[in-house]
Amino acid sequence: MPLLEVRELCSHYGDLQALFDLSLDVAEGEATALIGANGAGKSTLIRAIAGLGSRSRGAIRFDGQAIEAEPAERIARRGIALVPEGRMLFPSLTVEENLRMGALCGRTGHWTLPTVYALFPILQEFRHRPATQLSGGQQQMVSIGRALMANPRLMLCDEISLGLAPVVIEQIYRAFGDIRAQGTALLVVEQDVTRACRIAQRVYCLLKGRVTLAGRASDFSAAQIANAYFGH
Amino acid sequence: MRPPSLVPWLGFTAAALAIAFAPTVADGGLLRLLSEVLITLAMAQMWNLLAGYTGLVSMGHQAFAGIGAYLLFVASDRLGISPYWMVPVAGLGGALLAAVVAPLMFRLRDAYFSIGMWVLAEIVRLLVAKFPLFGGESGVPLQAVRLVEAESFQQNAFWISGAIGLAAVAGVYLLMRSPFGLGLMAVRDNELAATSIGVNVWRNRFIAFVLSGLGFGLAGGAHFMGTMFVSPDSAFDINWVVTAMFIVIIGGIGTIEGPLIGTVIYFGLRELFNTWFAMSGGWYLIAMGCIAIAVMLLAPRGLWGLARERWGWRGLSVQRHPPPRDEASLSAPLPPSTQQGRTA
Amino acid sequence: MAWLETLINGVLLGGLYALFGLGLALVFGVMRMVNLAHGEFVVLAAYFAVFLATQFPGVSPLFFIAPVALAAFGMGYLLQRLLLNRAVATDDPLTPVLVTFGIAVVLRNLMVELFGADPRALDGGALATAGFEIGGLRIGWYPVLVLVLAVLAFGALQWLLQHSRFGLVVRATSDHREIVRTMGVRPRHVYAVVMGLSLAFASVAGLLLALRTSFTPFSGVERLLGAFEVVIIGGLGSFRWALVGGIALGVAQLVGQRLDSNAGALYAHLLFFAVLMVRPNGIAGART
Repeated sequence: MPLLEVRELCSHYGDLQALFDLSLDVAEGEATALIGANGAGKSTLIRAIAGLGSRSRGAIRFDGQAIEAEPAERIARRGIALVPEGRMLFPSLTVEENLRMGALCGRTGHWTLPTVYALFPILQEFRHRPATQLSGGQQQMVSIGRALMANPRLMLCDEISLGLAPVVIEQIYRAFGDIRAQGTALLVVEQDVTRACRIAQRVYCLLKGRVTLAGRASDFSAAQIANAYFGH
Repeated sequence: MRPPSLVPWLGFTAAALAIAFAPTVADGGLLRLLSEVLITLAMAQMWNLLAGYTGLVSMGHQAFAGIGAYLLFVASDRLGISPYWMVPVAGLGGALLAAVVAPLMFRLRDAYFSIGMWVLAEIVRLLVAKFPLFGGESGVPLQAVRLVEAESFQQNAFWISGAIGLAAVAGVYLLMRSPFGLGLMAVRDNELAATSIGVNVWRNRFIAFVLSGLGFGLAGGAHFMGTMFVSPDSAFDINWVVTAMFIVIIGGIGTIEGPLIGTVIYFGLRELFNTWFAMSGGWYLIAMGCIAIAVMLLAPRGLWGLARERWGWRGLSVQRHPPPRDEASLSAPLPPSTQQGRTA
Repeated sequence: MAWLETLINGVLLGGLYALFGLGLALVFGVMRMVNLAHGEFVVLAAYFAVFLATQFPGVSPLFFIAPVALAAFGMGYLLQRLLLNRAVATDDPLTPVLVTFGIAVVLRNLMVELFGADPRALDGGALATAGFEIGGLRIGWYPVLVLVLAVLAFGALQWLLQHSRFGLVVRATSDHREIVRTMGVRPRHVYAVVMGLSLAFASVAGLLLALRTSFTPFSGVERLLGAFEVVIIGGLGSFRWALVGGIALGVAQLVGQRLDSNAGALYAHLLFFAVLMVRPNGIAGART
């Protein structure tokens, strides 16, 4: 049974419908990538799963339990953590305080302050700095670390490479190996199609709120992906 | 384009006639009450002009009412001129004060502006109470009342109040239908966008602010002329703003009809509590406050907004109507609908 | 010499202003909410203290601080949960202003109807008038107590926010109230606790006010502006500067009163205005 099952999900912004009967699976311990042009609905889907966005119709099951009607606070305690778009670090808090916030939901496991610092050593150096004073890449590490502190079974990553230099992105993605090794599944929104196909076992392509392509990245040619991405 | 509706003008004329003939049928007590209603209505319309149409919530407009009142009293007494002529002067005083403080106050935003206006009113009150010219803490009677005929005073005071009330409603209505009014609402809805299409934000706000100062000055002057006594505490009482605010919020902020409905409710409640429930004092204010809070949380557009949404009532609508769709225009895309926020 | 005494008394009065403003600053900083009913809660607490004094005569009013604060906390929690969370959720900065303004009017008039407009006071016994001499200056114990309590309160709150787990949660919620939910935090509950704390502080100020002077249902609105000036001068979320602001206002008022009696408050208002013109977001500025 997949860890996360999304079935026929519809999501609205006021009167505007953003997701149309969308279905998707994430397997335990696997990395799944969400690709698609801007406005395709990738962030909307992520937010809906996390409990922050509208879930007007359809079902979301996590570990067999229905969560489509649960508030974000409860979903967090089940083991779904969010690395939000734009990082959303707490400016009033230091790096270490941001990380500690992630642990608040009370889930224990491999990820603690020492192990997160081992994953991203630069953060230990800056742990008492206000989090938003760090560089973009370092802030992204804090955001990921914060999500890890919840010892999630599923980590939702929304556009984590946005605005970062390729070298920094590589550094961050290298950490994903360790994260998956500890048993956390990943659902990653990624603009760069090549990178998405490289890091993920499964790929979903979204266009205008619908899935246009789904399967193992290696199963598709570049042309097929382009078609699904732009829609023809 | 639809031809302008005649209904508002009929309504206005009817109201004007009613005011003109009221003294022949109403006794002194009723006239005094009606004066109060009309003055309150004027203040509500003016507060609404600033808060609903311009987006500036002021908690200090009692400053303009008080200054207007004092100006009328002092000028009348010192210059020996009939207080009737001083009412416009009271208005001008309010407008002038508004013009002077606007550059200062406009530096503040949102809640800072609201509270800043309140502090301003306090400063004005304290200054007025200081100087013997104004008669000090205990207040000063209107000695110039000697200059007018005692018998017709009440009638004249009533007509003046009526004129101010009518002028306030008509004035705001005409203003909002003018290009200036459109610009004002554009600024309220989205300052940046309004600037980008060439609307002068500062100038629009300034004019609205000064007009509301004018209105409150007139209202304050007329009210205290009627009571023939003014003191700093009564002239600069925060309850002027409390009343206007509750009326506008309950009736419907950002509409012409809202203050009308709100005023009726306000006086209705007061009569209800004072006469029927025999619970005098502040109980009607408590009721009014509770209703205002409920309205703000549950129906932010006020009772008029509710009526429009639920039952599709249209009144003195200040929206522009799109041209009728004929064969030629059916193929053209529809213009985007509805504004957001507190609209008319 | 008399000037020095005025200065010192101004500082001590400032302590009371700062205490008034503390609850306001807290709510202002965490929820970006302006609570115009704050003054009425201060007065309500004073009435409650008077009630307790009549029930338990002979007990020093200082012992009432705990029950009064607890009751106020409960009231604040419920108020936020039932009413004000809705107002904050509209994301329109003026809705809470208007709603709390309405609450203020309702409370004020309710107190007049229920308790009457006659001035009341709390008998502080010897404390109210006791004082000591230092270098030829006469200083009352009570104002010193108020200043000490004010500094302690500010310090305690600052410590709570910076070094406790609850403070961490409050600061995070104040930064991003939506994202914080994905960490298991319930913002509505956090806001309610903060409001409870705010009213608890207000109630202490109210009790101390009742010890110092007589009060009426209108004392709230009289003090409210001063409290706001304290908070606004300090700037959003800066307790340190709010404390300084309170003291500055106290000094301005008493110095002004010395120069020109009857109009002490005028000078406090003018000082406030001056600061606001130079720094429209307060001394510490608004947090981005």
